[in-house]
Amino acid sequence: MSEEYGTNQEIQEAKEPDQNPQRQIRGLYDRVNISVRTLNLLIIVLSVLLVLCMGFGIAHRGYQVTFDSLGGTAVESQKRMYGETLEEPKPPAREGYAFDGWYCDENFTLSWNMQEDVITESITLYAKWKALQ
Amino acid sequence: MTEKKIGTKGQAFAQLSTQDKLRKVGDLLLNNAMYIIIILAVIYISIKVPAFLKLPSIVNVISLTAARLPIALGIGGCIVLTGTDISAGRVVGLTACISASLLTTTFKVFPEMTSAPPIFVVLLEILAVGAVVGLVNGFSVAKFKLHPFIVTLSTQLIVYGVILMYLKNGTNNGQTLSGLTDGYRSLVTGTLFSIGNVAVPKYVLYAIVLTAVMWIVWNKTTFGKNMFAVGSNEEAANVSGVNVSRTIILVFVLAGMMYAITGFLDSARIASANAATGFNYECDAIAACVIGGVSFVGGIGRISGIVVGVLLLQIIFAGLNFLSVDANMLYIIKGLIILIACAIDMRKYLVRK
Repeated sequence: MSEEYGTNQEIQEAKEPDQNPQRQIRGLYDRVNISVRTLNLLIIVLSVLLVLCMGFGIAHRGYQVTFDSLGGTAVESQKRMYGETLEEPKPPAREGYAFDGWYCDENFTLSWNMQEDVITESITLYAKWKALQ
Repeated sequence: MTEKKIGTKGQAFAQLSTQDKLRKVGDLLLNNAMYIIIILAVIYISIKVPAFLKLPSIVNVISLTAARLPIALGIGGCIVLTGTDISAGRVVGLTACISASLLTTTFKVFPEMTSAPPIFVVLLEILAVGAVVGLVNGFSVAKFKLHPFIVTLSTQLIVYGVILMYLKNGTNNGQTLSGLTDGYRSLVTGTLFSIGNVAVPKYVLYAIVLTAVMWIVWNKTTFGKNMFAVGSNEEAANVSGVNVSRTIILVFVLAGMMYAITGFLDSARIASANAATGFNYECDAIAACVIGGVSFVGGIGRISGIVVGVLLLQIIFAGLNFLSVDANMLYIIKGLIILIACAIDMRKYLVRK
């Protein structure tokens, strides 16, 4: 790994020293005008903010599972932790249709198994309806 | 030898005045603030949810890292050139959709097709697609001296439009593509080897091979040396005989091909592809590079750093996922991580001066 560093240093030494202090920060930091002291403060403040955000996220942990009954009666959403299964909700009702299970997508390609499928993120489940004759 | 070195370092440290010592410790803490926070978070998470340190979770983190490595390795080159590439995620999406539309059993995008083409033909095709987008990016940056941000912003939108139109083709009507062939899925997600009951997927091996290839390209080839030369000082590189335009174009083309490989792996990994595939991947990749010490100053960066950066990001996100922290908050955390990484990057640069 040390060779890589060597290469960079060689290049840095090879090039002419930059006389203009305004040009010392290059690249995407071209126009940045900041002192080390301000940066120190910035890093500390941002780090504290990051920890606070993580703390807030952990305090309000849990994934929201919403049920979209697609025209049927409303079904209450559930809050679940990572790796938990869902509690079987009361099936929604819709006039002229029979309820045909919960699906992960609106095209009804992936059905949701209430006993086996576990929650790994916030999701919305969609109700599938079969028209009654 | 190393022990002696550490010994002299320790002695030198002992001879410093209290104020200097404090400053040194402060420097150390600030320069490594990101790592310290992530390590503390991991310790907290593993106490709260002991399953986080169990084998399945560790293999999961390694697999996720492997899946996100190629795109980060590609973007790393663009950042070394003091640039960036925000079209990366959409290129991943486009190549994922192309692979999923061809290596399938349903052929919704091309209803007239009856059998899937050979996998390596599809791989070559999407590599070409990635390379073309990279060529457009690189050419505009090199020849017209446009800022990479502007160029890749426009290619990002153009590629997104192409994805949406591509998905409207045939009988698909913009829906998610699935029903991939078994050959394609097993090539990517098949078991490489098992530890206990936990299978390590094959794409981990591909990521390792790609990392090795990129390490050689960056460190052992003239092209790699030219890339660092152009990144640290374009004029100086030009004067010393480096073909600056060609180097820039090649870096972007290589990056485009890396995104294509990410797309190829991702569609098989997720077992489907749609217009949202690859969305925001470039943010993670750029964040990983900056955390891994690839500096926006240009001309500074290592492959090992990128690997560590991707791994750290995946560890922290897998951990927060284990704690059931909502995805909305993860975006804010990601943004803050990028800001802190940039601030540390600038600080290192200023202090060295």
